[in-house]
Amino acid sequence: MKLTWGAEEEAFRAELLAFLDAEVPEEIKGGRDWIGDESPEIPKWASEFQAKLFDHGWMVPSYPPELGGRNATPLQTLIFLEELASRGVSRSVHFGGYAIVGPSLLEFGNEQQKGMAPSAIRGDTVWCVGMSEPDAGSDLASLQTRAVPDGDSFIVTGQKVWTSYAMVAEKCFCYVRTDTSVAKHKGISVLIIDMDSPGLEVRPLRHLTGAIEFAEVFLNEVVVPKENLVGELNSGWRITMGSLAHERGALWVESVSSAQRALEGLVEIARRQGLEQDGVVRRKLAELYEEVHSLRALGYKGFASFAQGSSAPEHSFMKLATSELRQRIYGFGMELQGPYAAVVDPEFVEEGGRWQQSWQISLAGTIGGGTSEIQRNVVATRVLGLPRG
Amino acid sequence: MDFTLNEDQVLLRETARAMFGNECPPELVRDAFYDVTSTGPEAASSFFDRHLRDWAALGDAAVVDLCLFMEEAGRVLAPGPAWVNTSLFLPLLRAIEHPSADLVAAGEVTGTVAVCGRDGYWVLNNDPMRSFVPHANEVDVVAILSAGNQVSCVAVAELDLQEVATLDRSRPVFQFAVPAGLDSTEIGAEQLAVVLNRGTVALAAELIGVGRWLMDTTLEYVRERVQFDRPVGSFQGLQWKLVDAALLLERADAAVYYAAMCLDAGAPEQDRAVHVAKAAAGTAARRWARDGLQSLGGIGFTWEHDLHLRLRRAQASEQLLGSASWHHDRLAELIFAPD
Repeated sequence: MKLTWGAEEEAFRAELLAFLDAEVPEEIKGGRDWIGDESPEIPKWASEFQAKLFDHGWMVPSYPPELGGRNATPLQTLIFLEELASRGVSRSVHFGGYAIVGPSLLEFGNEQQKGMAPSAIRGDTVWCVGMSEPDAGSDLASLQTRAVPDGDSFIVTGQKVWTSYAMVAEKCFCYVRTDTSVAKHKGISVLIIDMDSPGLEVRPLRHLTGAIEFAEVFLNEVVVPKENLVGELNSGWRITMGSLAHERGALWVESVSSAQRALEGLVEIARRQGLEQDGVVRRKLAELYEEVHSLRALGYKGFASFAQGSSAPEHSFMKLATSELRQRIYGFGMELQGPYAAVVDPEFVEEGGRWQQSWQISLAGTIGGGTSEIQRNVVATRVLGLPRG
Repeated sequence: MDFTLNEDQVLLRETARAMFGNECPPELVRDAFYDVTSTGPEAASSFFDRHLRDWAALGDAAVVDLCLFMEEAGRVLAPGPAWVNTSLFLPLLRAIEHPSADLVAAGEVTGTVAVCGRDGYWVLNNDPMRSFVPHANEVDVVAILSAGNQVSCVAVAELDLQEVATLDRSRPVFQFAVPAGLDSTEIGAEQLAVVLNRGTVALAAELIGVGRWLMDTTLEYVRERVQFDRPVGSFQGLQWKLVDAALLLERADAAVYYAAMCLDAGAPEQDRAVHVAKAAAGTAARRWARDGLQSLGGIGFTWEHDLHLRLRRAQASEQLLGSASWHHDRLAELIFAPD
């Protein structure tokens, strides 16, 4: 056990830092919680930055250069994510393309589909991922969008919801039901659907923050060529597990760093509000500090297992713990603002209302990507070995 | 930071675990607990003499290694003064270059450390009494710390020890009047901080071991115990409670070894890391004592079940070398310190 990595890793870090210092767009310098804007368009700075990351091998470092990487080791990937996270820099505003679609096409797609991965990862082609439905949220496998074979095509009818960037995407990586006669996990397939297909309609959904980032997608007898099937028929459930396996040991870094930056902001608010000497505030801040820093250590402990090829049960806790922690940090930051806690008018409130905005965004963290309730069920059965309820 | 154990550390942990597994069965721990004054072969001092003197030199080793050992000791609730002798007394003697340090490392002389006055806080003072002195009846020497960073070593035989009975009979604490006219040696403030940090992290590691036993015992019980025709561990109300407690223990465990790595590296964040480690470990162990007891139901509330031994250790150790609240307050001072 030791605090530091070797010289080779530190050289990798230095090269990355030089790139980030030169290339990170002004718009996201200093860290910014990003969950879309009032406009549904993907900002130009974001697309340009993503393409630049890809071209310099910094988009998905564990991939080879032709896929936007540099064959980085797991440890180098950890360092990469550490440095992005400590600056609050996201690689892309639409993570479906590089984190889900690209890797899934590479793992499960045919040759022609594999060829679509580079542009998905570089962001040249914007993808959305059609998973959730009105009646299939946490219980994703109960999805009902039907794909019925018809000659060389499938006829697809149904509805998707919470589909990020559907209004600007060219293609949808869409989970559909292709067999209703078997257990629900066994009748799911993945189709690539062009978003300009006749019968496909997108209705943007506004977040509670006011931003437009996700949408409902209605599919009414959309004709999809059979060659757009990804992987085997009825093997779609496996593909849901197929996001960036290379980065799985280090994905917690972003969420811990985000909590840590929030905590640092909290200390500054306490100072500005003249609450530095308040015993209750001091103890609460110290408790939050304890949580952030012990969770960071837990993430690294899990990484040590991951890097040795073992499972890392530690990481099952990270999403649950950091998403709930962030809500408490932002909530406390608002409380410290006293009567101004609920004010969002930039003229009157701390940091132009950034805390109020970040607090709202943090509320999504315990819902998206597996609710805290589902996370607790998963830890109970898979990590603690408790019997299913 | 790299949490990978090297081969020596893996071996150390396995050796300690095997030794405690073979030599320190629950019956021995119970006997030691129920009769601390016993002099029979199963007595606390006897276990320490036969098996733990050989490990005293860990007080000179890397803090990570010391913690691996203390975690195993905590898991079985090993009787005797190993923690205070190894983690505090020996490092203190090394810091003042005391001539007996080598004998302590060799397991030939044992000692404890007296810091608190009668207020019980682990802060140097001029109280004419020292209190909360752990295991003073089981060792040869007491190193008395006083205001002005003064250290005096006194043979236990020269002190009039009075036990202050606590919840935790397996870690007896004592008070005594500081004898007049003692010779003393000054210890540097920084060295003193290193010694106390070492002892604090080692105690936190012991608490992780206590928490591990409680967690393992509780999970095993709720998997097997059937009520309403189902294992009680299948009920979501119980599952979620235990998930939150498990998270607390896992992050405390990581925080302890992170602090140990910081001490070994002399890292600038070491004080913060130690505060985090002790606060988290103490909270996690007490949480598992409470939730474990609740999960075991009536059997957990009996004298017969060993859970109460851990409940007592967790509750009493919380106050040794500072409670979670005390560490949080020190941490707040560092958080708000000007850069």
